[in-house]
Amino acid sequence: MSSSNPTLVFMSSDGVEITVDRDVAERSLLIKNMLEDLGETGEAIPIPNVNEAVLKKVIEWCAHHKNDPASTGDDDDSRRKTTDIDEWDQKFMQVDQEMLFEIILAANYLDIKGLLDVGCKTVANMIKGKSPEEIRKTFNIQNDFTPEEEDQIRRENEWAEE
Amino acid sequence: MEAGDRSLREASDSSQTFLMKMAEPTGNHSDLFQQTSFQSIFGGASDDSEEIETDADSNLRKPHSFGDTATTPAKLVNENVAPFLVKHIPEQYAPLGPRRSGKPDDLSLASSKFCYRHRPDVKCRRQADEPSMDKLQKELETLPPSDQQGIAHVWSLFSAAPAKHRKLILQGIMAQCCFPQLSFVSATVRDLIRIDFLTALPPEISFKILCYLDTTSLCKAAQVSRRWRALADDDVVWHRMCEQHIHRKCKKCGWGLPLLERKRLREAKREIEMRATNWDVRSPSPGGDESVESASPLPEDSSSLKRKAGPSEETAVVKRHCPSVEPQPPEDDNYFKTRYRPWKEVYKDRFKVGSNWKYGRCSTKVFKGHTNGVMCLQFEDNILATGSYDATIKIWDTETGEELRTLRGHASGIRCLQFDDTKLISGSMDRCLKVWNWRTGECISTYTGHRGGVIGLHFDATILASASVDKTVKIWNFEDKSTFLLRGHTDWVNAVRVDTRSRTVFSASDDCTVRLWDLDSKTCIRTFHGHVGQVQQVIPLPREFEFEDHDAECDNDNVSTISGDTEPASLQAALGLESNAAQTSVFGPAFDNGRPAPPRYIVTSALDSTIRLWETTTGRCLRTFFGHLEGVWALGADTLRIVSGAEDRMVKIWDPRTGKCESTFTGHSGPVTCIGLGDSRFATGSEDCEVRMYSFRS
Repeated sequence: MSSSNPTLVFMSSDGVEITVDRDVAERSLLIKNMLEDLGETGEAIPIPNVNEAVLKKVIEWCAHHKNDPASTGDDDDSRRKTTDIDEWDQKFMQVDQEMLFEIILAANYLDIKGLLDVGCKTVANMIKGKSPEEIRKTFNIQNDFTPEEEDQIRRENEWAEE
Repeated sequence: MEAGDRSLREASDSSQTFLMKMAEPTGNHSDLFQQTSFQSIFGGASDDSEEIETDADSNLRKPHSFGDTATTPAKLVNENVAPFLVKHIPEQYAPLGPRRSGKPDDLSLASSKFCYRHRPDVKCRRQADEPSMDKLQKELETLPPSDQQGIAHVWSLFSAAPAKHRKLILQGIMAQCCFPQLSFVSATVRDLIRIDFLTALPPEISFKILCYLDTTSLCKAAQVSRRWRALADDDVVWHRMCEQHIHRKCKKCGWGLPLLERKRLREAKREIEMRATNWDVRSPSPGGDESVESASPLPEDSSSLKRKAGPSEETAVVKRHCPSVEPQPPEDDNYFKTRYRPWKEVYKDRFKVGSNWKYGRCSTKVFKGHTNGVMCLQFEDNILATGSYDATIKIWDTETGEELRTLRGHASGIRCLQFDDTKLISGSMDRCLKVWNWRTGECISTYTGHRGGVIGLHFDATILASASVDKTVKIWNFEDKSTFLLRGHTDWVNAVRVDTRSRTVFSASDDCTVRLWDLDSKTCIRTFHGHVGQVQQVIPLPREFEFEDHDAECDNDNVSTISGDTEPASLQAALGLESNAAQTSVFGPAFDNGRPAPPRYIVTSALDSTIRLWETTTGRCLRTFFGHLEGVWALGADTLRIVSGAEDRMVKIWDPRTGKCESTFTGHSGPVTCIGLGDSRFATGSEDCEVRMYSFRS
């Protein structure tokens, strides 16, 4: 914490440098821990798994959420789990599946719990309330069950229908 | 990269005019980005392509033969296209093949160059879609050969280009598109970008997604594909579901399930967390997959499992993003041995019971034998104890319905009883309490001390509280044999509840109030006003019970008084500053130093025909349950429901959060005087001398 420099530079996987406020960057636990362990070198920090477009998106999220309280314990989280997403995040997540996929991976890699949660909730909401066939269509999935298996599995899961 | 850039520039220069000319048809071909499609359209090797491939890794011959370049009429194109392909094809597709796949270095090198979609060792998640390929082929064939050739060049250039170049090419093409073409692109793209998230993401993230789903959606997800099924049926997901729903109402869906061994749920937690991080498609949940595997008559099944056991294509993607995934935890064998039932099965059973409660599907058993009104009862497992105005206590077997024994000794009607493993304590209008060995029927001791009938009692750990017609509550300490009285009620005290943790007692009285007493100071620390009839029952809700504040009805006529204490600390509590309770408790200084607070919520019933839910921290009445036609004598409550019995002979089940009456049971021919509530059943006693037990087990 010796450095007084309030910004950092990230280098995306496709070699683009992006300047980020330090407090925004520290929404990422990976970055935060790295800075704590290694201090600041002044050099661009390579983010090898995240390309420019995704990295910018992730930074946008972090900037909007930079004043959020630190995430609470996992226990509390599981008790109060809902798939409600706040309005800003919902808009933020209105991207194509590829971008959503990359955001989730980036949030996971950079250890940004809030963003990972929102990403996962968004995918969950895409699954919710759909029939198996609708789910396959949504995600372009091949049905690899035989008709017999499919029938059996349907019967196995019938109890959940209200 | 510099060299590559140069060659791209050259290539794009030379094909610039061509691109312009072909602007229209190119809009159609976004499907062709897969190299396999080139084969089908431009199949057949040629001399020129041979040349290309000798430069490239020999492994690559098959999938990437761009034979078309050989017959190019335009030398210019040939000169520019060929070097581009020669340069980039090896970069694109070279590093992976059976020969090198053993070296992890190569894999990491390769993955830095490709997005997951273009890695040649990973079967593209977007499959080439044959009908549109056919259509493309046919349309292409209608063009003159030279145009076909030109288009082929564009495609092959694109196909060979590295990611960065591809982006440039696309930008160039898009810049030339008019709106109808862009609209076509946008519609096509929307349809093309569909990703099988659960398969492509690391398993712990897939589980995270699945854990956000409701029961029905999870069961639908299990029917999507093999991979989805393995994930959606897994213990990781269903253990979480059990945690969320069993014995509490889930915030997500408002659905709660009856309790099972909570200990087992907790114990399994760590194991489950391990499982989520080490998950592998090869170690499916014990129950789900086995059952299909064994039940399925198809031999193909087992072979598909074996296939997955190899270095499969699906897991390759996963591993890249999640290098920490171990192939298989060694303790997995033990894992299966110690497990008895998959959590999905456990959940399913509880779900059925919950659903039976919800829809009132139950079986009824009637216990007949008392010769006067039944006034109190309790059941545990297969034992039911009932006390009656006929001055006897009867012990019944709930499975067989058989009367096991009758405990005789009280001189007057029995008004209250409670039993545990070793003893049964009863209170009677004869002013005594008696302690029994209910297994033998022997009366162990008799406590006298009240100057009126004993009409309510409750014991917990070492403390017994008794409530009496003499307007007092008496506390009996089993340990040091001390006793003392709690005075304050101005009429009969009908019910008492001890809370050992906070060392407090609740009491309900005919004076229309409920009081909360501190056992240390032996004083009343709070009085709950609101009922306009004699309060018959008071039950603290389990501490797990949660109530959303906005659910509360704002009743201004229900106020509590805080005895002795002048501090209006209730505001603090109303703001939900529960943690502050440790420093300055709303229950007064006696609770300041970390002493547990009394249960936060209580329910009460009274002869004003209502049931009320109170918040003890503020003394507010949060909800009033209307529906009984006459006084409510009997009450049972847990985190999921409230059950009430009344003078009107009805039994009602309520949702404590919404205040809604979920169902009404009739059957007794006299007022319902007592209720016992369990996870999957409840029992009611009545002045009609009978006890009815309703079971919701499936």
